[in-house]
Amino acid sequence: MEKLVELRGIVKRFPGVVANDRVDFELRRGEVHALLGENGAGKTTLMNILYGLYKPDEGEIYVRGRRVELKSPKDAISLGIGMVHQNFRLVESHTVLENIILGLGEDKLRIDFEKHRRRIMELAERYGWRIDPMARIWQLSAGEKQQVELLKILYRGAEILILDEPTSVLTVQETRRLFEALRRMAREGKGIIFITHKLNEVMEVSDRVTVMRKGRVVITKETRETTKAELANYMIGRPIVFGQKKVSAKLGSIVLKVIDLKVLGDRGYPAINGVSLEVRRGEILGIAGVSGNGQVELAEAIAGLRRPLAGRILLNGVDVTGMDAGKMIELGVAYIPPEGNKLGIVPGFRVVDNLFLKAYRYPPYSNNLLLNWGKMLEKAQELIEEFGIVTPSALSRTSSLSGGNIQRLILARELSGIVGGIPRLIVAAYPTKGLDIGATEFVHDLLLRYKEMGSGIIFISEDLEELLLLSDRIAVISGGRIRGVLAREEADAEKIGLLMSEAVIQAG
Amino acid sequence: MPPKIETRFGRIRVERRVGYGRLYSISMTLLSLALAFLVVALILTSLGLDPIKAFQVIFGVFTKPSLLLESIKQSIPICLAALGLSIAFKMNFWNIGAEGQIYMGMIASTGIVLLHEYYGFFYEWMIMPLMFLTSFLLGGAWCLIPGALKARLGVNEILPTLMLNYVAILIVDFLVHGPWRDPKGYGFPLSIPFPEYAKLNIVLGDPAYTGLLLSILGAAAAFFLLEYTRPGFEIKVVGQSPAVARYAGIHVRSTILLGSFLAGGLAGIGGLSIVSGIIGRLRPGASPGYGYTAIIVAALAGLNPWVIVAVSIFFGGLITAGGALQMSMGIPKAAAQMIQAVIFLMILVGEFIKRYKVTIERPRVGEE
Repeated sequence: MEKLVELRGIVKRFPGVVANDRVDFELRRGEVHALLGENGAGKTTLMNILYGLYKPDEGEIYVRGRRVELKSPKDAISLGIGMVHQNFRLVESHTVLENIILGLGEDKLRIDFEKHRRRIMELAERYGWRIDPMARIWQLSAGEKQQVELLKILYRGAEILILDEPTSVLTVQETRRLFEALRRMAREGKGIIFITHKLNEVMEVSDRVTVMRKGRVVITKETRETTKAELANYMIGRPIVFGQKKVSAKLGSIVLKVIDLKVLGDRGYPAINGVSLEVRRGEILGIAGVSGNGQVELAEAIAGLRRPLAGRILLNGVDVTGMDAGKMIELGVAYIPPEGNKLGIVPGFRVVDNLFLKAYRYPPYSNNLLLNWGKMLEKAQELIEEFGIVTPSALSRTSSLSGGNIQRLILARELSGIVGGIPRLIVAAYPTKGLDIGATEFVHDLLLRYKEMGSGIIFISEDLEELLLLSDRIAVISGGRIRGVLAREEADAEKIGLLMSEAVIQAG
Repeated sequence: MPPKIETRFGRIRVERRVGYGRLYSISMTLLSLALAFLVVALILTSLGLDPIKAFQVIFGVFTKPSLLLESIKQSIPICLAALGLSIAFKMNFWNIGAEGQIYMGMIASTGIVLLHEYYGFFYEWMIMPLMFLTSFLLGGAWCLIPGALKARLGVNEILPTLMLNYVAILIVDFLVHGPWRDPKGYGFPLSIPFPEYAKLNIVLGDPAYTGLLLSILGAAAAFFLLEYTRPGFEIKVVGQSPAVARYAGIHVRSTILLGSFLAGGLAGIGGLSIVSGIIGRLRPGASPGYGYTAIIVAALAGLNPWVIVAVSIFFGGLITAGGALQMSMGIPKAAAQMIQAVIFLMILVGEFIKRYKVTIERPRVGEE
């Protein structure tokens, strides 16, 4: 079979790390090739090299058997290479059509919109996508935006497609549709590189899989000749156990009761539209749903960051509706925000500053005016050890930490009780998103430990596997409403997916 | 992605330097100074003047005690305003209005003096403390206007702070042309000269020493505020990210109000140092742009209060050198200001090159 791409002995060094260490990789015509590895394994670096974003320090790149030198994405695109990045690169206020033909350079003075519209429609139909070329990007769902990204590169005639963690924003159903489209593209003779760290997806969609660890390729294998367990072993270098982690904590009194809550989103429309739920001591309530369906607004309302429009929030039976974030912190509500590296820390601050981002104003660390850095540094040292934060020192800049360590820092701050003892309520919004298996396990274990200690926990995630692993009950959210609450025993991926999609049909 | 600019000569890339050594930093500063003097020499030669002699005058500012004292005196308002700006900028509050806040400080100081002289308010010993208090309050209030606009209505602070400068300058014009004009001043737009008790010469009888002490105390206060107090920490968090500040339970609005007030207040004291230390009365144009120079000083000093003191003295020296050049060599005022500007500019370029790496990739023939 023809080799579309061959990378030989690629080396890429960044200050202090070797991101790619003599990497060999090949992509054949007509295959979906999964590139599997934990965060920081060097997958994205390798693909950025193939896409012309980085220049390799050593090594050779062959495209369709010819040696090439890629100076910029422009070179890569002209060779038929297209990449869909993890975060979409679309102009939100423009139409689908405008985004697709942006930078095409085909038309000179007058753009023949009608011609492009027709061709784009044909292309979309081929992959079973129903997309309106005149719709504006901000009106689209994440799945549709991704289709636009794919159309953009297909329209330029790409036959080497790189997808960087494409499913991280998709529902189960959207993922299935994407995989169908990818299989179809492969049948047409394109080559697809699929970057992921999810084993299920590798097994489901790929023909071959290359596993990377710490900048090196561990192995390349036919997917049907391997197993999930084997791949996991290659990926993290030790065997891991799949299955449920049972922690039986006795459910106690009701910690949080939310009654008919309505909350406005950033756009000024209600993002939470009449949600009621309750969480008991020692209980993990999972919130399942595609992101952007009101989860963050719900979490922010509970954490005091968003004033509810209507409804009530009771904490241990006391009405706390409309209290601000400072008050909620004092009442023992810990909030692990989504995108912790942006919203949960100040990257330019030192580790100790971020550990005390909330506690700095409370005794014994402050007398309300002066700060006691001695006390803070001392405690920071303890926290760094207790939560296993890998950092040169408490005075290092936080931005130099890896994503997993930043999340550990946030967890240390939120959970260690430096403000008001063991948190009564923990609101964790996507606490494992973007983390590798090791760090994810750490987060899971920690949440279970606090469950055991009697905290009530709201656990928001898109990953059904981990929801089923940790939750006592799972509430499915969609369009700002809870569509159903399932006990763990009766919940499975199929039922949850159904609840999510039923609501979509209702709403649409 | 680093910004890239395509030109016909190739691709210009600007990348942030990850880190650089002290030796590199110092040698870059020296190099840019050398370049500055080279350009200045060219200008002077083209004017038919002897550059060597001019440089002797410029360096003389930092070696002759009398001129050094003058430089320090000139640096006081710059330093105090820049210290205020260091607080504002840490809060990501782009205060371009230190100049106006300086003018308000001058109004407050002069007002207290006139109240005593004209109406006999206060005892003499109260005047100095009252001048400090009111110039801080009025300067702070002046900056509180854009601060409140930002905190309450989300109005960007850059235009309000800038435009309030002109308002403050015009208020001073009105006062010295009108109600505050010296009755014995032959109609010139000047206030009465400040009596001795209202002059900034507490330390060794010289405003330069008093001012230097003031600068150092101001730097200590700003440093202490930012590093060791709760409001200082909150100011820095708000500056880094208002969203994170809210998440941390910080009251973003009141922090902005406090931070902008403190910033304006320090500039207000800078105004006091002009009327009470440098000029000894109020007159139009009493600040020839100290508040703008303070922006450069704060930026060059990396918002570090201690470094601000040193950089201010350097810039005070440049101002003094301009005057000395005019007097001793008959260089026109505009040329003297040009020399100052060239030195400013070269230092700024040097700082830029220190922090960013600029590379030009030339397309090789036959490619692309």
